[in-house]
Amino acid sequence: MIGALLGLAQTVIVIAFAWLLTQAITMTVAGEPLSQIMPTLVALAGVVVLRSVLIWLLEVSANRGAALVKSQLRARVMAKLAERGPDWVASQQSAGLATVVTTGLDALDNYFARYLPQLLLTVIATPLLIAVMLWHDLASGLTVIVVIPLIPLFMILIGRATQSVQQRQWQALQRLGTGFLDVVGGLGTLKIYGREQRQFIRIHSITEDYRTRTMKVLRVSFLSGFVLELAASLSVALIAVSIGLRLVDGSLLLGVGLFVLLLAPEAFLPVRQVGAQFHAAADGLAAAEELFAILHDDAAAPDLALPVSVTDAAPPANPASAAPATPGSVPGVLRLHGVTVRRGDTVVIDHLDAEFAPGEISVLRGVSGVGKSTLVAALLGFIPMTGELTLGGAVVDAGATRPWLAWAGQRPGLFRGTVAENVALGAASADPAAVDQKLVDQKLIDQKLIEQALDWAGAASVSADTMLGVNGDGLSGGQGQRVATARAIYRALTTDCRVIILDEPTSALDADTEADLLAGLRRLAATGRAVIVVSHRPAVIAVADNVIELQELVYV
Amino acid sequence: MSERKMIAPELELQQPISPHPDARGRATRDVLSLAQPRPRWFLPGLLAGVASAVMAVLLLACSAWLITRAAEMPPILFLSMAVVGVRAFALGRSACRYLERLTSHDAAFRQLAELRLGIFRRIVPVSPAGLAGTGRGDLLTRLVRDVDDLQDLPLRVVQPLLVAGITALLSVVGVWLLLPAAGLTLLVCLLLAGVLGTVFSGTLAARADRELAPLRGALADEVLEIVENLDVLTAFDALSPRLAALARTDERLRRASLRRSVGVGVQSAIVSLFAGAATLGALYLGIGQLGGPGGLLGPALVVAVLVPMAVFEVFGMIPLAAGAWRQVRVSAARVADVVPQTVPPEIPVDATNPQHLRPCIRAVDAAPGQATDQATDQAADQAADQAANSNTDPAAVSVDYLLQLTDLGARWPGQAEPGVSGVTLRLAAGDRVHLAGPSGAGKTTLAQTLVRFLEYTGSYQINGVEARLLAQADVRRVVGLCEQRPWLFDDSIRQNLLFARDTATDAELGAVLARVGLAEWTARRGGLEARVGERGALVSGGQAQRIALARALLADFPVLIVDEPTANVDSAQADALVRDILSAAADDHRAVLLISHTPVPDALITTRVTLPATEGVNPCGAVRGGAATS
Repeated sequence: MIGALLGLAQTVIVIAFAWLLTQAITMTVAGEPLSQIMPTLVALAGVVVLRSVLIWLLEVSANRGAALVKSQLRARVMAKLAERGPDWVASQQSAGLATVVTTGLDALDNYFARYLPQLLLTVIATPLLIAVMLWHDLASGLTVIVVIPLIPLFMILIGRATQSVQQRQWQALQRLGTGFLDVVGGLGTLKIYGREQRQFIRIHSITEDYRTRTMKVLRVSFLSGFVLELAASLSVALIAVSIGLRLVDGSLLLGVGLFVLLLAPEAFLPVRQVGAQFHAAADGLAAAEELFAILHDDAAAPDLALPVSVTDAAPPANPASAAPATPGSVPGVLRLHGVTVRRGDTVVIDHLDAEFAPGEISVLRGVSGVGKSTLVAALLGFIPMTGELTLGGAVVDAGATRPWLAWAGQRPGLFRGTVAENVALGAASADPAAVDQKLVDQKLIDQKLIEQALDWAGAASVSADTMLGVNGDGLSGGQGQRVATARAIYRALTTDCRVIILDEPTSALDADTEADLLAGLRRLAATGRAVIVVSHRPAVIAVADNVIELQELVYV
Repeated sequence: MSERKMIAPELELQQPISPHPDARGRATRDVLSLAQPRPRWFLPGLLAGVASAVMAVLLLACSAWLITRAAEMPPILFLSMAVVGVRAFALGRSACRYLERLTSHDAAFRQLAELRLGIFRRIVPVSPAGLAGTGRGDLLTRLVRDVDDLQDLPLRVVQPLLVAGITALLSVVGVWLLLPAAGLTLLVCLLLAGVLGTVFSGTLAARADRELAPLRGALADEVLEIVENLDVLTAFDALSPRLAALARTDERLRRASLRRSVGVGVQSAIVSLFAGAATLGALYLGIGQLGGPGGLLGPALVVAVLVPMAVFEVFGMIPLAAGAWRQVRVSAARVADVVPQTVPPEIPVDATNPQHLRPCIRAVDAAPGQATDQATDQAADQAADQAANSNTDPAAVSVDYLLQLTDLGARWPGQAEPGVSGVTLRLAAGDRVHLAGPSGAGKTTLAQTLVRFLEYTGSYQINGVEARLLAQADVRRVVGLCEQRPWLFDDSIRQNLLFARDTATDAELGAVLARVGLAEWTARRGGLEARVGERGALVSGGQAQRIALARALLADFPVLIVDEPTANVDSAQADALVRDILSAAADDHRAVLLISHTPVPDALITTRVTLPATEGVNPCGAVRGGAATS
């Protein structure tokens, strides 16, 4: 709306500038004295100042709009990912997803900040300018009217030809992006095999391939720019020549001729800008298509209603007290009755019956690929399941949140921040950006309990103040695994979870550390919680009160 | 132990590595010089650009002259040249513009290959240990985006600056010939617009520009953390605060973008203001000069008044180029920061004339312990000297051992404490050594040192020759490594094996897959053409280890180090995997050093070694962090 008003004002200013300048020139050529021309010159100076202010305002409002739209889209995509759930996201290429949300969105800059405002300006300014030209000189106005519709026509024709190539280009770009990174990331491996020198050839051929592909697209898409500029400058030339010939006849006045000549390029300017931004905008739109595919992809959405909000609210200090009606506060047995889990059309877990009693360590085992992790994901509510799940006699809804459950997966899944912030995840945000929340967080984090959780996880040697990089960089595999276990223990202790599930918590640990961790788990179970460990390690099975063997399903 | 602190390596990297701003500037300039195409590629685009811009100015000048002259009603013949000129300039301007865009983009893309190769050339000697700590999202944005952004240097900085500069200069001369005072006014206005526009926008936007790149990186990191750890965040009810934190980073990025837009707007406004000023000035100065004998003619005055409008349209490119320049410089500085200029002392560099190992291998193959070759004699002498110098028992120095480590230590770049120290170990053909030790004892550090990714202290001899004296490539022909998290390339199983030995036939590939227990699995997935996915996403941890082992067997290293093969494998498979590795690897009289925390049956190994816990920092998680989450 503001953009439209500013556009209108700018058009009026353009017309005023051309008219005043023409007046001043004709008066000068007619030999009038400076004193006569002066008022026009002063008015012209005013218009020049106004014009620059308007240009500045237009630019700021266009960029502001683009930045806002991008943020909104990013938030919507992230909310959508949260809604689709971890299982869906895990099936995507995570780096590809991240590219779409970051660089993919930046490609929309040109679309929102340049293309759309110019399109708006075209709708506002062009008719107005043509009307003024028609009023002063019918012939020139008609020339513009005839030529201008030709521009979108050619643009559409050329655009059609480019479009499919453009889309392929975006995919090629992404492939190429990961290709270069693949070489850089795998360089250590390549060096072990003495293959690093060959990568020069590979990078060269990838990039040359990229160049030839891109140039093929550009030859066509620059053609649209060429047609545009040609139409604009040729019609200016036509108008100039036609005005000149009629001036020789005496059928036209110099003032009118100059005025129309100055307006003619202005009439084409917005259309030309639209065209100039067109292929950049098309790049952005091709990128946006992946984005919209995520936003509108509801086809295989699992029926999981995990409530997620993007509000800035601080996390509740005690989630257990925030949800007093949940089964979380009811001690009792976690019972699975006839639980069936599918992945796609494949039945992974078929009518499983199992019981996990409080105070006991239960070990879940079975050969690789039998579906242990799938069962864990179903218990977490990440993938749908049928059958009955009860905790202390109360039925657990498949889609409900799990305030009674703490979990550590096979991957540590740590974040940038201190170990303490990682362990206290959920209780306090482990977010370095939330500087203002730091004080609040310090109070929410129970330092003693963190030390205890690390101790029980066999990670007493890891300092709680250790600073981790992105994705928990800075810890060895075994250390990361224990910090993740400590995180589950901390959640269990602070939010009164009745059930703790640990997926292969000791796979990267040596025997001594494993023993420390198992002793910790025994103490955790002694607090009246059900501890479920997915593992094969003999040491783990030795301490188990209860071993549940998952059987492989046989298919034809 | 409780005082042990790990430094997040990227925190270090974000600060300039070099303490001297000069050195950093030089590093940035080095990167930038890689981005500018050579003149042979660049010149055609520049010429077409200047031609197009000059014709745009001439189109307006010629049209203005035609109309004003026509108003004086001369015989129509006097106008015919102008009529032809107007049409020719209209055509030529568009055609030249098309040519300019094609040739300059082609030149920039050609240079992209040189640029990527130039950057890669610098990464090769320091990778992987010297590149530690670039967070994965950061690595993604830095090396893909920043390097590709450097293309803007020729396209959006150098080319527009030269085109606008040359065109403006020619126009000033043209106007000066018609009306000297107007020419000077135009020159002054152009200079003021250029200087003021750049200064204003510089102060307003430079800071925002500098903020944008790190914020983009931070945003990418946060997005990646959320996307990759969505399961953890969901299970811990931490998703909403995370998304809120992301929204705050997003907000900061948006504010920075807005500040920049204010700067861009100011530039355009200043250019427009001075364009008006130049037009007004020419008009004002022309009024007094008009008419009289030898005075200014009407058509010439109109040309002098209107030309500045066209010149400033071309000149509008300069402030945009200045903005693009700032972004390019930030990208170049970031690339220069990631890629160290000099190899840190913790990373080995090949000596200028290292001895060649090939003769040693032959000697060992033919008759172990017999030095027959001249080169080997030298090597043995040198080894004896070394042994004498390091005060070890000379009797222990014998080429019987493929590897001999004496008081070996190693340190990661940027760390104060050694990651491993005091290791003494011998490895002969057919040995199968199990190396154990608590987390953080430096097992991975040792593995990285043995393949010469890290420099060592103490002595490390291969066939009796000090490893430091050998070319790294020669060391790696003898000593192979199966990494803790093997890197699989986003390609087929075949390609992931072939780079270990590209002459291998399909039958050989099938045989080696069978040896590592993957024959059935490969068949089930559709054979050798089955893809492994990005970073091996379609392959489980155990299968990735087996593929890595198959690679190592293909390459046929006399010494094979296997680093924690079971770290990402569930323990049902772990025992079988360790057994398969040891039996498959031991077939060819190969020496195997198995690094593992899991117990290994006595029957499978010949020696056990345990590394004691050290105070040292072991950032192995950071080194292989890129593959950590596959």
